Amino acid sequence: MPSFFVQYTCNHYPALSEFNNKPADQPSTHPFEREIAGLWVEAQAGDELAYTQMLQCCAQRLRSFFTRRMNNTPEDIEDMVQETLLAVHTRRHTYDSAFPVSAWVMAIAKYKLIDFWRRHGRRDRLHDEFDETLLGQTDQQPSLGGNESNVADVDGLLSQLPEKQRQAITLIKLVGLSVAEAAQQTGQSESALKVQVHRGIKQLSHLIKRQPS
Amino acid sequence: MKTDSFIAFLAKGAQVEPKPAIGPRLLGTASLGLIVSLTLVVVVIGFLPKATFATLSPWMKLTYTLLLVAVASYLTTGLSQPLARLAWPLKGLWLTWLTMLGVGAWTLYQTPTPDRLDHLLGQTWLLCPWTVLLVSLPGLVLLQRTMRSFAPTALKEAGFASGLLAGALGATAYALACPEDSAAFVAIWYTLGILLTGVVGAFASRWLMRW
Repeated sequence: MPSFFVQYTCNHYPALSEFNNKPADQPSTHPFEREIAGLWVEAQAGDELAYTQMLQCCAQRLRSFFTRRMNNTPEDIEDMVQETLLAVHTRRHTYDSAFPVSAWVMAIAKYKLIDFWRRHGRRDRLHDEFDETLLGQTDQQPSLGGNESNVADVDGLLSQLPEKQRQAITLIKLVGLSVAEAAQQTGQSESALKVQVHRGIKQLSHLIKRQPS
Repeated sequence: MKTDSFIAFLAKGAQVEPKPAIGPRLLGTASLGLIVSLTLVVVVIGFLPKATFATLSPWMKLTYTLLLVAVASYLTTGLSQPLARLAWPLKGLWLTWLTMLGVGAWTLYQTPTPDRLDHLLGQTWLLCPWTVLLVSLPGLVLLQRTMRSFAPTALKEAGFASGLLAGALGATAYALACPEDSAAFVAIWYTLGILLTGVVGAFASRWLMRW
């Protein structure tokens, strides 16, 4: 991805001592809230950099949130982080500033987690033994599709995607158009395209896993 | 995709976000639901004769159902997002129902003993809740599809609230065709129909509102 790449390091804070000491300036504000609240206001005003930093902080917090709760399916953690970030992104126009943004993000994360459990509860119970035998054979990568260069036949895989997802991925990821340009060309909204790309990439990573290597 | 590049991808081209407009959009959908319910009522049952509207009873029914519409709208708006203050809308629902129940009980107390059961059951008590439910279903689907584009995180509760709203809208439409005129009847059978719609909404939310 050719765009700017700012790695924003979030403060690592002790979990509880902040509450006990209660700093005088902002009593009883959660440190996570203090970290992202300002960034979020700027992001909602259209600041790309602040938005990137805010999402990076959220990703960190979400990763630990999901890691603690998804012991049995560690390979899905990063996927859930991304899914929650995408949910925050697509619903950010409904955010009501009367409430703290950190609580808003975490409530969405909780919803996504429950949804995940609901989706996988049935399937995992059925596939339990099968999964265990598989785990010994494959070396799974925690981040999805990080090894795009290894994929031999991208076109073949792309052709298995639904039309809209294939189009979005081709234009943005392969041709290299910006999201705005792609939106203009296809007549779809920018956020719709982003959603299509995300879904398409998730679908691709499933297809790659299923392919015999 | 690595999360970092995914974030860069999401943030690219960020624009000024508009103020949230959950209330107005829900109101639009609710109006559409009411129109559908009214159409159903006209086609299936037909409106009451005009002379009836000179009496108090249709207005009593409409006041009750429209009050419920107002309060349920607040509740539904709140539950369309992850965080909301729900105490007052909930109290409002109870207050509206208990007031109606009080009025019904008082009119029952005023009627002579042998007529009381007639007042309570009317001619149509078996039909009324089911009609309200059926007339409300299209509105329920519309509302839940709209709410899906917001961020309801408590699906069952949100589904129940949207069911109450759809039920109250359906009851408003049905009030224009319902021949009953006792307050006790409205307090019990209308409310039951609205609750039924709420329960259907709570179950339907998993399919209609999941996001």
